Formats: sequence, C-alpha cells, structure tokens
Amino acid sequence: MCLDDQILNTYLDGELSEPWKTQVEEHLNYCAACKRRFEQLRTLHKVVSESRLEEQEIAPRRDKVLQFIEKNYMEKKNSVGFLHRDFRVKTPTLLMAAAAFIVVLVGALVLSPTPHPESDGLIPRVVPTEGAVVQVRATEGLAASQVLDNYPLEEILKYLDSRGYEVDLRVKGIQPMGDQAPNE
Amino acid sequence: MEIKSSENESFRLVYEEVFPVVMRVAYHVTYNMDVSEDICQEAFIRFYEKNIDFRSVDEAKYWLIRVTKNLAINVVKRKSREQAMVDKIKKAPKVPVQNGEDALMDSETRTLVREAVEKLPEKLKSVLVLKEYADLNYKQIAGILHISESNVKVRVHRARKIMESMLDREEMHVS
Repeated sequence: MCLDDQILNTYLDGELSEPWKTQVEEHLNYCAACKRRFEQLRTLHKVVSESRLEEQEIAPRRDKVLQFIEKNYMEKKNSVGFLHRDFRVKTPTLLMAAAAFIVVLVGALVLSPTPHPESDGLIPRVVPTEGAVVQVRATEGLAASQVLDNYPLEEILKYLDSRGYEVDLRVKGIQPMGDQAPNE
Repeated sequence: MEIKSSENESFRLVYEEVFPVVMRVAYHVTYNMDVSEDICQEAFIRFYEKNIDFRSVDEAKYWLIRVTKNLAINVVKRKSREQAMVDKIKKAPKVPVQNGEDALMDSETRTLVREAVEKLPEKLKSVLVLKEYADLNYKQIAGILHISESNVKVRVHRARKIMESMLDREEMHVS
C-alpha cells in the first residue's frame, strides 16, 4: 500500500514517530512513485519556506521599533509620557479640586445675569386681576408693623400703588362719608 | 532562564531573538511591511507593559507570536471588510539580488508563493505561516493556536495541497 500526502508531509516535517517513520523510509527506498511524490512535496515546502521575508529586510525595522520602545517606554519608566500617565491623584488634591469647582459653580449662580426674584420688601408684587382682593394688615407681624411705622402713610400708599395694589383704605369705627350722604 | 517582560535586560534578550520571527509572521499574514512593523511594535509594547513572568525565552516567544498573529489576522479581516485590498504584493520590498548558489528563488516565484499564501483561508494560513516562516513544530503551533497537534497536522497538509494547486495553476513547476 502506498503512502498518502498527509503521511508524507508529516514525515517531511520530521513529525512522524516510530514505528511509522522507519516504515515510511523503507517504503520510499523501493517505491519510485511515492519517492517522486515525496520529492514534489519537499520542493513545495522549500519553495514556500524560501519565499520568506529575509534578514536584511527585517533588520532596519527591528532597529527602528527598538529605538521607539527604548525612547518612549524604557527611558520614560519614571517620567511616563502623557498618554500613558497614571491619572490617579491623591485624595487631598481631589478634595481641593471639588471645593474649587463648587466655589466656581456658586459664584456663577450668584453673579449670573439671569433675572432673579426682586427683593420684595414687605409684600409680594401682584399681578392685578379683576376682583382679587389681598388683605394686608399693618399690624400683622411685629417686624412688619415696626418697619411700616418708619414711613408716612402717603409713601406707603405710593409704594403699594407702584406694585400693582389697588388700595382701599379703611379706618376702623368711621363710616365712609360718601356712602351715606345721599340718605341724609 | 526566567523572563520578566518589563525588565529591560529580559526585554532586550527576547527582542533580539524574537523580533525577526514575529516580523515574518506579521508580514506573511498581511504582506505589508509598514503594517507589519506597526503590529510588531504593538506586540512588544504590550509585552513590555503587561509585566508578565515567563518560564523561558521560548514561552515569551510563543506569547509574542500569538499576539502578533492575532493582530495581523485582525488587520486582514478589517481590510477585507472595508473592501480596500490594495495590491500589497507590489509593495513588497525589493530584495537585492543574491549571487551564487543561494539565489534559489527568483522574485517572480517569490511573488507567486506570497500571493498564494495570502489567498489561503485564515485557519490554514495561520498554521502554514507558523510552520514555514516561524519554523515551529506541530506541538509549538498547537500550543500557540490552542488546537490539537493532529489538527495542526491536518491543516498543514490541507494548506500545502491548496498551495500546490494554486502554484500549479500559475504554471510554476514545483517538481
């Protein structure tokens, strides 16, 4: 029985173990067809293997890559390049950074030009609506009445008018004069 | 000898011995010198930065060959996906003509062989490149590719069969 290509290739690569190796060698000694086929496979292997990239083509690349690694990795072991730097920072530094960020953020909010609620003073601004009545008593809240005491009545009325209040002024115990006049 | 990949002395020792092998592996998978150089550089940078302990130079070599081969295969896959197959063979470096009996191969034959290797299916190509260009035995190839030795044997045989038919078609007489 003759040898197939796979056995011949395995033998060619020196990978055939005993007793097969001896058997193949004996067979090749007397079988011309198998011997010829073996020589073809050996030539193929030789042609393929010899098409390899050669030493002289490799050498310049070898030196170039080594130089690159020496310069960027081996020499910079202690002073690592930017891209490969370890970005971990110590906790105090991190806290400082966080604090700085908050200061900047708060500053931005305080100083921002966006309209913020007008300091309302004593009473809120109202949008005049038909029929809506807001009652404000001067005696309500000690602080408010004390502040109001500092202003003359005329100024208080002007202030309220400027903020959209229609003021109906009543004084306890006294009837408005106009209401009753026609009856009398 | 134990190898620590981040130690400069170990690194240089491995580099000297292994660079030509990985360069050949990268080249015979991609057939592009610049791409191969980048791949080898990447492989050795990984090697240096990973700080791995190897039992021997050979173990380091197998690791580097595996990484290089994977990087090279990925480049080829990406290239074929992008349908941007340039005629890389034409970009092959011009080798100074050798004199004397060493000049067994003419450049035309070399080009035909390289074109044929390039056309092999990925699995057969990996095995053949490691066999013919990295000079590894079946056991070493099996270890690098994580396949069985008998699988290596079959793939070597199949790869050569395809190579032979492709080269015959090109009317290159290998006998």
